[in-house]
Amino acid sequence: MNVIEIRNLTKSYGKARGIIDVSFDVAEGEIFGFIGPNGAGKSTTIRTLLNLIHATSGSATVFGKDCRTHAPEIAREVGYLPSEVSYYDRMKVLDLLKYSASFYGKDCTKRIHELAAYMDLDLKRRIDDLSFGNKKKVGILQGLIHEPKLIILDEPTSGLDPLMQQRFFELLRQENAKGATILLSSHVLDEVQRLCGRVAIIKEGRIIRIESMSDLARDHYKKVGVEVGPEADAAFAALEGVTNLERKDGVVSFYYKGDINAVVAHLAGLRIRNLWVEEPTLEEIFLHYYQKEG
Amino acid sequence: MNVFAHEIRSGARSLATWSLSLAGFASLYMLLYGAIRNDIQVFEDVLKQLPPAAQAALGVVFGTLDTVTGFYSFVFAYIVLCGAIQAVNLGVAAIGRETGGKTADFLLSKPVGRTSILAQKALAILVQLVLTNAVYLAVTIPVALSQQSDADLGQFALLSATLFFVQVVFAALGLLFGTVVEKVKSVVAVSLPAVFGFFVVGMLGAIIGEDKIRYVTPFKWFDAAYILKNGTYETGFAILAACVAVVAVAASFLAFARKDIHAQ
Repeated sequence: MNVIEIRNLTKSYGKARGIIDVSFDVAEGEIFGFIGPNGAGKSTTIRTLLNLIHATSGSATVFGKDCRTHAPEIAREVGYLPSEVSYYDRMKVLDLLKYSASFYGKDCTKRIHELAAYMDLDLKRRIDDLSFGNKKKVGILQGLIHEPKLIILDEPTSGLDPLMQQRFFELLRQENAKGATILLSSHVLDEVQRLCGRVAIIKEGRIIRIESMSDLARDHYKKVGVEVGPEADAAFAALEGVTNLERKDGVVSFYYKGDINAVVAHLAGLRIRNLWVEEPTLEEIFLHYYQKEG
Repeated sequence: MNVFAHEIRSGARSLATWSLSLAGFASLYMLLYGAIRNDIQVFEDVLKQLPPAAQAALGVVFGTLDTVTGFYSFVFAYIVLCGAIQAVNLGVAAIGRETGGKTADFLLSKPVGRTSILAQKALAILVQLVLTNAVYLAVTIPVALSQQSDADLGQFALLSATLFFVQVVFAALGLLFGTVVEKVKSVVAVSLPAVFGFFVVGMLGAIIGEDKIRYVTPFKWFDAAYILKNGTYETGFAILAACVAVVAVAASFLAFARKDIHAQ
């Protein structure tokens, strides 16, 4: 069963780019990643699903119900963490979370305290005294205290320190194990890789690819940099799967796609001073990998 | 009704400040009446020497200054001015503060319809205005009586109630404005210029003696001189006030239902 079904969703703004003909499904129990550079249309899609903005054309259903006409009903089972968190400044954290809980008609007191302890959030502080990271935690809690069946996260980890990111992801895995479906948007490939089973890639308002994480990883380029004398360059260029080879400040760098052992075997015969093998950023994937589809 | 409760709770301090300030301002002024009651003729003579335009601008009603209500009507225009600021603040903030303070994402992703949100917020504004006026009357009526034991309370209440009506009109206009605009960066930056603008327009209208300008500014829809003389409101203007308030609120509901809540 699909929890989310988006069909030909289009949102046009006057000048700014919206989204064009976006379609994808998210199945029940899935952790679905929604990736693309900033401004590609991730938030626009999510905000349409939540009925915060209204589509120009196309349709979207959540739990089989139209996201526009049944918004309050759908919201009962949805937890949403916006990319930019902002709450009523003069409220205490606990009061805000109680206010949040009051919309769902459930007693969430126990879970508020459990999650606050887990995420290391002081419930007695005032919202306007909180750091950005702590506000983000408030956002996480208000999205999760009512145990939603669908969790929608828009750029969830910005502002969280690595330890908290880890705890938060663990929390999401637990919710997912209990049956929650998760839609997570991000421009950081790494966090999507750690969590998601399937991803949709959006670029300039259009979905350009929907595939499983394992397929995406298999097609993945690596960024390799080797600090070595220029005499080795020709051999690198001859390796199959090497592209964008260039030399700068004594370092030869290239993108490599294929069996990494071939590179390692080649390096074994060289006298190198330093070596980097990096995941390309999502931006770089867009630049080099999806150029032809753009 | 949790949105309503939230609005009332978060507005409590501001409500106390506004209602006590308005009541205190009016009361202090009425206490002056006690001090200059015996010299009221001199006071009136001084006012009479002002050019007619200045008299019109101040809204002096000659022949009534010797009663506490008449004396009070002199300052009442400024009470209404302050009350209008409070009302526009409440109206603009209802939706404007959610979009401007970026809390709209939180509120509108909760399981509550937009019509319900706006209805609860509008009701909260109405209740706060009723409370403001209740406090105002509860304080000012005893003060008026202390200054003139045979004060015409009916007239006093009739005049004072127009504070509420003007506030309702301004709150409705504020509500519509706060809903229609993309986002409100600062509520006061909207309310002060708007309210003073309407006030100055009304004052200019009185100075140049152009009666049609009265239709443009809610400050002139309930004329103190007319109320004191006739003991009633001008029906046409009262209907105008009611219509403007109803249309503005209805338009707010329509606009809010269609509104796109953008990020940032």
